Amino acid sequence: MIDQELKLTLAMGVLLLPLLAAVSIGLGARRWRGLSAGLSLGASVIAFLCSLILFIKFHGAPAAIVPAPDAGIQWLQLGEEFKVDFAALIDPLSLLMLLIVTTVGTLVQIFSLAYMRTDAGYSRYFAGLSLFLFSMIGIVLASNLLLLFIFWELVGVSSYLLISHWFEKPAAADAGKKAFITNRIGDFGFLLGILFVWQIHGTLDIIELAGMGAVTTTTGLLIFCGAVGKSAQFPLHVWLPDAMEGPTPVSALIHAATMVAAGVYMLCKLFFLFTADALVIISWVGGITALLAALMAIQQNDIKRILAYSTLSQLGYMVMAVGCAGPAASLFHLTTHAAFKALLFLGAGAVIYSCHHEQDIWKLGGLRKKLPITFRAFVIGALALTGFPLMSGFWSKDAILAQAYATNQPLFYLGVIVALLTAFYMMRCVLVAFDGDSRSDAANDAKESPAEMTLPLILLSALSIGLGWSWFGLKVFLMNPVIWLGSKMNGAVPLNQISPTADLAAIIAGTVASLAGLALGWVIYKGAKEDPLPSKLGAMARGMRDKFYFDEIYAWLNKWTQERLSHYADWFDRWIIAGLGVRGTSGAVDLTGCLLRLVQSGNLQTYALLLALGLLVMLAFFLF
Amino acid sequence: MALMLMAVPRENRAVFRWGAILATLGSLVLALFVFAKFEPNTDLTSINHGYAFVQTAEWIPALGISFHVGVDGVSVLLVLMAAIVAFAAACCASGIKAREKEFAILLLLMTGGILGAFMALDIFLMYFLHELALIPTFIMIGVWGRGENREFAAYKTTLYLSLGALLALVGLIMIYLHYETFNLPDIIHRIQADHGDLMTTGQQGLVFALLMFGLGILVGLWPFHTWAPLAYGAAPTATAMMHAGVIKKFGLFMLIRVALPILPDGAQQWLPVLAWLCLGNLLYCGLVAMRQKDLNGLISNSSVAHMGFVFLGIASMTFIGLTGSVMVMVAHGLLAALAFALSGHLHQQARTLDMDKLGGLLTVMPFWGTLLLMAVLAGCGLPGFANFAGEITVFFGAWKTIPLITGIAAWAALVIGAVYMLRAARQLLHGPRADDAPHTDDIPGWHKLPFIILLGALLLFGFAPKLLTNKIETASESLEHVVEMYKRK
Repeated sequence: MIDQELKLTLAMGVLLLPLLAAVSIGLGARRWRGLSAGLSLGASVIAFLCSLILFIKFHGAPAAIVPAPDAGIQWLQLGEEFKVDFAALIDPLSLLMLLIVTTVGTLVQIFSLAYMRTDAGYSRYFAGLSLFLFSMIGIVLASNLLLLFIFWELVGVSSYLLISHWFEKPAAADAGKKAFITNRIGDFGFLLGILFVWQIHGTLDIIELAGMGAVTTTTGLLIFCGAVGKSAQFPLHVWLPDAMEGPTPVSALIHAATMVAAGVYMLCKLFFLFTADALVIISWVGGITALLAALMAIQQNDIKRILAYSTLSQLGYMVMAVGCAGPAASLFHLTTHAAFKALLFLGAGAVIYSCHHEQDIWKLGGLRKKLPITFRAFVIGALALTGFPLMSGFWSKDAILAQAYATNQPLFYLGVIVALLTAFYMMRCVLVAFDGDSRSDAANDAKESPAEMTLPLILLSALSIGLGWSWFGLKVFLMNPVIWLGSKMNGAVPLNQISPTADLAAIIAGTVASLAGLALGWVIYKGAKEDPLPSKLGAMARGMRDKFYFDEIYAWLNKWTQERLSHYADWFDRWIIAGLGVRGTSGAVDLTGCLLRLVQSGNLQTYALLLALGLLVMLAFFLF
Repeated sequence: MALMLMAVPRENRAVFRWGAILATLGSLVLALFVFAKFEPNTDLTSINHGYAFVQTAEWIPALGISFHVGVDGVSVLLVLMAAIVAFAAACCASGIKAREKEFAILLLLMTGGILGAFMALDIFLMYFLHELALIPTFIMIGVWGRGENREFAAYKTTLYLSLGALLALVGLIMIYLHYETFNLPDIIHRIQADHGDLMTTGQQGLVFALLMFGLGILVGLWPFHTWAPLAYGAAPTATAMMHAGVIKKFGLFMLIRVALPILPDGAQQWLPVLAWLCLGNLLYCGLVAMRQKDLNGLISNSSVAHMGFVFLGIASMTFIGLTGSVMVMVAHGLLAALAFALSGHLHQQARTLDMDKLGGLLTVMPFWGTLLLMAVLAGCGLPGFANFAGEITVFFGAWKTIPLITGIAAWAALVIGAVYMLRAARQLLHGPRADDAPHTDDIPGWHKLPFIILLGALLLFGFAPKLLTNKIETASESLEHVVEMYKRK
């Protein structure tokens, strides 16, 4: 009992502290910049400590999985069928995710203290971060589908607010809007999926649903739509690169480590809902995203955009892993990715900060000596991402490839190609931005960032190296036949049941791909003054640079469907109004005259009386 | 007796603005009191079963019309919402500089009328009090309205709404001819009795159509909605707030209160039609809203579009759907009032609502901008605001009976709503400020109060929708009865 209470108190603390911070900043603390930042950071640190205690105390054996007792607040209930309880669901999955979210959240806020120091919207920024943390933790803890959907939407809006933080900039304002609306399209499917689940099983409670097993393939795919939007999978991936208009720490927290991972987290949590057919489609969507995004990343020149496409690609990997019946592998990669991608983004942030907001890698260069700490951190992050042996990304990528080898061989080869491409574009990014000579004044004057910024880099570097090692516990934790939510993970293949052949194939292919990609990148870009690829690849390179024209295609589609419809509707509306207008103009003058006269008499009682009389006369007329 | 005072605040003294504010504040306090103390009559044998605070007085005994008022779980919410909006509207009426006395009187007349209409238990009284609230709208648009269009707007609105009201009146009189009384609890009592005293199916179909279209015109049911953008574009702020927020809800209220319980067979014939028409509101008006250049045009089209959720809930004919409808009515009342109050302030400052000419307002008017952003987010159904709670409840209710239409409605709610709402935020609040942009000041001092109250109520009911559903549940018996009568065949 004491455990239950402790669990509840800690969980509610983790959830509500950031909200409290956001509200108090909004209500008045915003006038004092330091106080705002302090509140937000403090809430985040305490939330981290609570998550840590929760994890250490309760992550244990699967048998210890107990849902948190009802928090006692019912959000909504109508009849017996429609119940939405406000309760936290605590299982190994949510405990791990809590830890990821609060760790990265805290480090990013420390980084932001310096990065955003001169920003006029400092307090607003921290309020936004706190609001985001609250919503994200809500997703992690939500115990039923509608609650999940509620926080899902809230995460969307906090992302909107943070992307358009510099709202005077048209590009930032547009990017925020685009992110929100694209997410909404995914949420549309998600909501329909939830409605279907409710219709089929008559409940929204995740624990109850877990006992009932899979729903239809269509329903599963509709639910998946939510993840497609939030985790920016093909074909709704277009919003994520644009979201880089937001401040860089925001990109690190929201658009790399946590929010975009929410889709993957949701797939793992609701894994039992998907049929085998649905999983196959999910895995291919993930695979295609991974490949397309990796190709696009090769020809980007903005340091943040390279990382954004790489995020897309890695998210595709995770989704692919879920589709290959490997939620454990997916979650493993989610965890390591959160660390090394946050590290890469913060590293990029440090570069941008030092170089007066220059983001074009071809205008940087020579930063290796000027920003030694940032350089080392960035290289560690890049190596982890490429799956260099013994780095954290190596283990998790290996887990995903092994999973694919065991269940879906074509996707295994696709995964290996993506690994090669990843190593190639990261080598390009590191060499061009950090090696050689400075190619602009901004890069020439660069100085290492203050301690608030380097400290998170160092800590994340340690995590990026160590998270995959078995003594760190993460792999062991996931390798355990973790059977989330009881034994209802039908069809899931746990990590430790993958055959040694698959494991071996994955290790060899992954390592070779990674090393080959790095070597290729070294050969082509070592000492390069400009990009040699466009002349070699021609149209292909242009396609990669222009993101395969998805934005243009969508703009065209939207123009010819929704915009066109709206145009017709508007025209029709005006036409009706105009039609009536012609007929009505003559009468209008008279009537207004009448109305004015009535008002000028100033005697309203008379008027009310007249109305009543008129109605009575009519009544009498109808009645007798 | 307190209730009588609330129903008809006759403070016609020339205290003008402050008088109006104090009077509406009085109504608000009383409405809060009624809300808090609300305990429906649980005596099953009583004719007033399910109602609270019942008052009766003879009025026109010859026709069986009486002054019979009381509230149940549904109307108590609408009364509270109406009182909040009325208070806010009175506070926002300070922009009126000419004929303040008449304006104040009309506003109070409106408030009293509509509060009474929500509480009336006599069908004729209900109708009469609504007319009392409606007529000042026309006058206010014609006299205090803005723009060159205002006379035409007043004219067209009068024509449309009078036509709607007249159609409904014909329907109501036909009900009277059958039951020979206007006493609503009495009629329902007779229907619920063992040998339900119902009109013939043919009659019911006719009457239901009259009520549905008549009341539908009052609400802006597609395709009878075109008066709305015109009227709200020309109406003074307080009037737009009262009408879009409160008075428009009357048609829906009467549909739920009178048409559904008395005419179950008529409902069966016509609700499928209503289900498709509500898509007209949700989709068509949403699409129209996407193309508006004028902020008021956008708000009024979106307000018409939101009525689609209420119609959808009604057309679903499930307990959950009907509950959702009532929730949306309350939420939308508050939101529409907030939105029109905000656009009113902008018009007062900038003398234009053309979104192409304005931009970057969040920097110059942080308070106004933040509130507009909140209103915009509430309007696209963000959780945390009452609108989301209502809309999601409607979806869950309607999903079981009309899934296809619900699916399309969800698209309208999630995507189209987001597109036009965020466009407003993007154009007005974000982006750089134009060099020739008009000078605008933020909302000063105590003038913030009505905005804070409206937003606070939206958030309160959004975070704790149980406050709404608890009250509606007490009326669930009558709502469930409606549903059962409907399914009986």
